[in-house]
Amino acid sequence: MNKGTGVGTGPTAAAAAAAAQKQKTMMQRVETDIANIVDNFTQLVNVARVNDPPVRNSQETFMMEMRAARMVQAADSLLKLVSELKQTAIFSGFASLNDHVEQRTNEFNQQAEKTDRMLARIGEESAASLKELESHYYSSAQRTADTE
Amino acid sequence: MDGNLEISLDKLPVKRLDAIEENGAERYPPDSSYDEKRVSLIRRIDFAWAVEDDEERERKKKQKKSSKDASLTWQWQSMVENLQLAHQELSVIIDLINTVEANDAVTVAGMTRPKPLPNEVLSDLAVCAATKLQCYRQLGKYFKQSAKGFEEQIAREARFYGALIRLQQNWKVKRQRVAAAASSNEGFTIDLFDNSLYDLAAMCRPSSLSTIRVEHDSAGMLAINLPPNSCRSLHFGFLGVHSADIPKNMSKIKTRGSVEQRPRESEKESVSDDDYVKETHSLLREVHQSIFNDQVFEMLNREAFNQSVGVNVTGIRENYLQLSIGQGNTLFISLVPSNKGDSQDSGDTQNIESAIVPSHSFVTGKKWVFPNRTSCEIYLQQIVHENAFVKEKDKPNLSGTQASAQSGKDEPSLLGHFCLSLAHRIFSSRVLTELENVVCRVPYLHLMTHPTWHSRTSSWTIFMKVPQSILHAESRSPKSDLQNMKNSIKSQFCTKVVVNDDRINVEGEGAPNVVGLFKSSENVCSVNKYECDLADLPVIILLQVASQVICWLHEEALTVGIKTNRDFLCLTFELEQGENVSLVAHVNPGDIKGGISWWLVMEDGFAEDWKLQMDMHDGASDYRKFLGHLTLDVLYSTLMDLVSMCGGSRNH
Repeated sequence: MNKGTGVGTGPTAAAAAAAAQKQKTMMQRVETDIANIVDNFTQLVNVARVNDPPVRNSQETFMMEMRAARMVQAADSLLKLVSELKQTAIFSGFASLNDHVEQRTNEFNQQAEKTDRMLARIGEESAASLKELESHYYSSAQRTADTE
Repeated sequence: MDGNLEISLDKLPVKRLDAIEENGAERYPPDSSYDEKRVSLIRRIDFAWAVEDDEERERKKKQKKSSKDASLTWQWQSMVENLQLAHQELSVIIDLINTVEANDAVTVAGMTRPKPLPNEVLSDLAVCAATKLQCYRQLGKYFKQSAKGFEEQIAREARFYGALIRLQQNWKVKRQRVAAAASSNEGFTIDLFDNSLYDLAAMCRPSSLSTIRVEHDSAGMLAINLPPNSCRSLHFGFLGVHSADIPKNMSKIKTRGSVEQRPRESEKESVSDDDYVKETHSLLREVHQSIFNDQVFEMLNREAFNQSVGVNVTGIRENYLQLSIGQGNTLFISLVPSNKGDSQDSGDTQNIESAIVPSHSFVTGKKWVFPNRTSCEIYLQQIVHENAFVKEKDKPNLSGTQASAQSGKDEPSLLGHFCLSLAHRIFSSRVLTELENVVCRVPYLHLMTHPTWHSRTSSWTIFMKVPQSILHAESRSPKSDLQNMKNSIKSQFCTKVVVNDDRINVEGEGAPNVVGLFKSSENVCSVNKYECDLADLPVIILLQVASQVICWLHEEALTVGIKTNRDFLCLTFELEQGENVSLVAHVNPGDIKGGISWWLVMEDGFAEDWKLQMDMHDGASDYRKFLGHLTLDVLYSTLMDLVSMCGGSRNH
């Protein structure tokens, strides 16, 4: 995964180097964690054999607990790595973000234009209604009767 | 041991001859070493008693078992007995070993573990296997617990990031790497500052609400916490009409200081998240509006300190600006916290509503209406938004005036334009009131409003329409087509009233001017245009209308072939006997019955006869007769009567 993959013109050399380094670091972390999990689980399976001396079994019990804790720690580290990748994907997807922003901008502009047209239409209809009402009122017999 | 004591007798430790050989040599038994003596002594210890005791115990146990078969036995009884026996044996062996070691004569050469029996081996193996199985089961539980915790964490993160992604669609979300060792989560903030401020970027400082921190609540969902009373709204009103202390209550969106947490059930989680995101959107929008209001008020404050047309600051304090807009009207603009409106009771709300409704004040019989407060607020925000937040190329023309803050001295700024607009609205409402008063009292006048869509210009037209009955009568009379056409054109007279800011322009036809004086025979109703003030407006209108009536009557007389002399408000007929009869219009704005009344004035000849017949109630001249407030029909009839009296003066 490259940071800033959506940038059209490409990142600068320093940013590209930093991105490559970060990718390498993440891969190492992934490999370390997975190797950790596999090794510890292998050891857990290997000590399943029942030995004669009870003392050895006690030793193996403690060792199994320790390896299980290591496995869980490696899994937690992997989850954090995944979380970090999610954040990077959310905040580095510039192409999709820009597209979405442009889309929303167009939508809002269209809505603004539509609102303006609606307001203009309302104004025109109000003016026409006002004119009609005034004409009716001043021509009506009621107004004539009131003035008389 | 038994109660009886057994005694064993040993031989005396005397060397006894073992054998004598034939040669007479005596053979004695060899001397035993000290160790051999100790060993022999040890071997002489009789453990039979212990063995017998054990056998007796076993027999007794068997007897007990047989006797106690009917009752329940403890399941661990046999194990306990075995352990006790083992403990005994171990005690004996330990004592023996200690004794041997204490005597230093005998040492333990070696101990060999007895070969375990098959059942013992199997039992040991079973115990170990069970222990290991238990250990694996505990590991399994631990893994399940951890997995559950991870799943919950994933679910929380999914909800958090899902909500954050949806917020990111409408808002600018930034992330800041927090150097906190406790958690590896980065800090997210939402930037609400509008960097599209074209003219105000160098002037406005970012509000404290521009950056909002996104936090996690107890359920892992994102939460936005705002300090109370942080959102502010613009409050506008007219001093004396609206109270400056009553906060605005126009917003229908409920304002909150922070998004409340609601208990969510697992099956309704998705629906609640959507509503939660919508509420967060609304909250951010309120903050955005509050920031905009702050920017508007700051801009207004800055413009208030610059001299500009229409701006007259009469009071200023924190978050409060008071301006005078002329004609004794004062407005105020203030910033108030938005939460105040939510905490009011219904009774206070009614008072607010009554204050918001445009009020009517009656002063000396006149009434005027203040513009709606909400519409003024919207207008203020709209002009600021259009002229300060829109880029230069898209900037619309602000009603014919430059609204830039850096405008010239003669052109009003935004605030000046706003004040002038409000002043115009108030003034135009007064003008309209006066016009309506005039038109209502004169039946043949029609008022028509012309929306100009300009905030500082208003226009009306007063029509004087010739009744249709007169027009129909004329159309039936045998006249030339040209005459009919001319009459159809003159079926109505217009007087246009245009108000620009506080200047009234009246434009109308009918009133004679210098040009008309030199054109005696033509039907000239010249168009005049002049300015007047509000107090003189009714008089001006009535004069204009009266002159239009005179003009119309003059034209009608000409149509029937009668030559008349037209003065400003007087139409003179020359009778057969050489006398002149004048129809004179009298204008009185204060006349409730009608603004225009008519008089009939006689000159010469009949003056003495009129003295005896005239009603002298008002002290008028004897040769004047008050006709009253006549309609156009009656005026036309009067005209025809006068025409009939004009016999020899017909002009064919």
